[in-house]
Amino acid sequence: MLHQSHVHQRSDGLGTRAARLPIQVGAVALMAATMLALSPLAHAQDKASPFAPLPDAPKINEARAKLGEKLFFDSRLSGDTQHSCSSCHDPAKGWGDGQPLSMGYTGVEYFRNAPPLFNIAGRKYLLWDGRLEGADLGTLVRDMLTEAHTMNADTRIVQERLKQAPEYAEMFEKAYGGDPYGGKIYGAVAEYLKAIRTVNAPFDRHLRGDKKALNEAQIRGMALFAGKAGCIACHSGPMLTDQSLHALGVPENPMIDADAARQTTMLRHFATMGTPNYMNLRDDVGNYVVSKDGKDIGKFVTPSLWDVGQTAPYMHNGVLPTLESVVDFYDQGGGTHPNKDARLRPLALTKKEKADLVAFLKSFTGDKPAVTKPALPEYGVRVVGKN
Amino acid sequence: MTTNRMVRAASASLAALLLTGTALAADLPALGPLPPAPAPSDNPTTPAKVELGKKLFWDGRLSGNGSMGCVACHSPDLGWGTGGAISFGYPGTQHWRKSQTVLNSAHYNKLFWEGSVTSLEGQAEAAAEGGVAGNGDSAMMEMRLRLVPEYVAEFKKVFGTEWPHISDAWKAIAAFQRTLNSDPEKVPFDRFMKGDQTAISAEAKRGLDLFKGKAGCVSCHNGPLLSDQSFHDTGVPDNPVFQTDPHYQITLRWQHYQKGVAEDYYRKGTTDDGLYYVTKRAEDKGKFRTPSLREIAYTGPYMHNGVLETLEAVVEFYDKGGGESRSGTKTLKPLGLTEQEKKDLLAFLGTLSMDQPLTVKEPTLPESRPLPRAGTTASEAPAAKPASSHAHHMQATPAAAPTKKKD
Repeated sequence: MLHQSHVHQRSDGLGTRAARLPIQVGAVALMAATMLALSPLAHAQDKASPFAPLPDAPKINEARAKLGEKLFFDSRLSGDTQHSCSSCHDPAKGWGDGQPLSMGYTGVEYFRNAPPLFNIAGRKYLLWDGRLEGADLGTLVRDMLTEAHTMNADTRIVQERLKQAPEYAEMFEKAYGGDPYGGKIYGAVAEYLKAIRTVNAPFDRHLRGDKKALNEAQIRGMALFAGKAGCIACHSGPMLTDQSLHALGVPENPMIDADAARQTTMLRHFATMGTPNYMNLRDDVGNYVVSKDGKDIGKFVTPSLWDVGQTAPYMHNGVLPTLESVVDFYDQGGGTHPNKDARLRPLALTKKEKADLVAFLKSFTGDKPAVTKPALPEYGVRVVGKN
Repeated sequence: MTTNRMVRAASASLAALLLTGTALAADLPALGPLPPAPAPSDNPTTPAKVELGKKLFWDGRLSGNGSMGCVACHSPDLGWGTGGAISFGYPGTQHWRKSQTVLNSAHYNKLFWEGSVTSLEGQAEAAAEGGVAGNGDSAMMEMRLRLVPEYVAEFKKVFGTEWPHISDAWKAIAAFQRTLNSDPEKVPFDRFMKGDQTAISAEAKRGLDLFKGKAGCVSCHNGPLLSDQSFHDTGVPDNPVFQTDPHYQITLRWQHYQKGVAEDYYRKGTTDDGLYYVTKRAEDKGKFRTPSLREIAYTGPYMHNGVLETLEAVVEFYDKGGGESRSGTKTLKPLGLTEQEKKDLLAFLGTLSMDQPLTVKEPTLPESRPLPRAGTTASEAPAAKPASSHAHHMQATPAAAPTKKKD
């Protein structure tokens, strides 16, 4: 059942909901509060706990979500009918594509990692460079369908393809009371996206009072996460993200320098965003394409860590293949970048601490999505002149 | 005067001509060899530009999926078209009209069957970006060109820009197309008109008289181009595929939707109404631009939707007075041609093409290379071969059509 009575309110930090729930972090929270006192981020957040269970499920319109599910898997939403949303957001691959850099549209190679879709309705920003507003999933869908590097569709053609399938025509009638049309197509897929959730993650169970949900290594890892390792500075709250943008100095993915096709999509993206001096850029400048402020070069959205065990490889460009390599990256204080977040410092974690941290990270991971490709409506022949 | 008004004025004056029959044939633009192809003053033709344009014509980078270059639907081996009735279109889609030959297109003042653009430059862009044609994104196509060192150098030489600009790509392609013209030395009719009485047969000479007289063809097919460059409703029957094939139906509705017709027309439209989509005037329904008859030996099947497979079928169509009018102004009348007259007419039509089809050797396309970082050189970066439009053309023919039905 998709329906939930409580509509999720997006929160940038810890909401009051977190406070009224049984929090099992005890000493960890204390340690975290001590550490966070040094961080400017801490003041905006609930001091009782840096953690909160998953946001409540958003309210879903069933008819639209059901339609959106079929559309999500239907390659007729792309220009050449060879790519559906699920081509790069495969539920069996953590709603990503499992590749460091996403493949993109036919004849195109993309330059960033396909982000996972878990709990996407809870995000403040969408896309790695934060160029879209989180509340506007319909616009995200529109962009993915129409962008030359993703699905490259003229959605007026898509609209007529859907109208040609009697089952779709019926579903649109039921969900919206009319013909398939651009905004309705985007809205239906967006409604389906809202239903993509982390399910049964041990850490969520832990936060909801299940004392057996975490093992000892994970409990130790939790303390490191909120303490010595400082992960909590950016990965906090119900979404396990500060919903902000940071430069970490993640190394550039050498696949971009080596491949004209990937460089093409990157520079073309910079060009279409009106980025200054785009032909001379070789690094992925991240949020700079949005703000055009030099301080934002190299900044990317902090991803949610829910289901992180299903979403390898990691970072905006997939250069870190495993959670172990992510922990190593932070242990050395991140990478090198002029705009690097000053809070990143070498952590001097022991081998055991690293293992505990990885064990804890795995507790963010829920069940494999129980989703399979639905049967898709087939085209029928219409009576010409009766549309 | 807007283009639409000019079109309407031209149509009106032509209708007047048709009503007075062949008596005015002598006042129509004279038949004869084509003059040199004109080039617009803002895009003069130069050898370097033509060479660049030839490569771009073949280059799949100028399309959405990297492999539907101009040549995919305008193949030199198929009369610079697809050789089929209705063009196959972009993969996953179905086109709705016949792919016209590129030959002699420099002489048209408007392009596409409904005359929706006024230059070859505009035609190249519209075809490369159209959803059922090239489906390309201009920024993506432009960036692909910028990652090809040989193109960067050639665009700089030809257009003087540091980086290739997509609008210059259309200019170069247009310049190349302006070189694809019938050679009067190789066209029997042109040799005849220059005084070689042996260039065409006695049958063809009788056919020429019919063309200018009893059959009235010259009313619309006149001047060196053998086209009045105007728009007429000849009542060409619908191609039946629109009744039976979902993919054609999708495209028909899409065309009506994207051409901005009123909702009632979108819901009830049954066919391709040509010039109507440009003017939105009922009297222009079913009107299409008169095609040149040059090189027709190589450019069948015929009409905007390819429903007439042979020139024999075309002659029969006009002998019957054309088809059912959609514009409400029926101008064609039955001709009452005898079997011999039809043969003569066909013999004449057979003299309008070059002795051998005009083809061009496929150019070698340059490779893409990633742009170097400061301190390195481009040659250190790995090269990538371009996707061949020719190869894709093979994939995109109806033989590969089942991919469309996968879902």
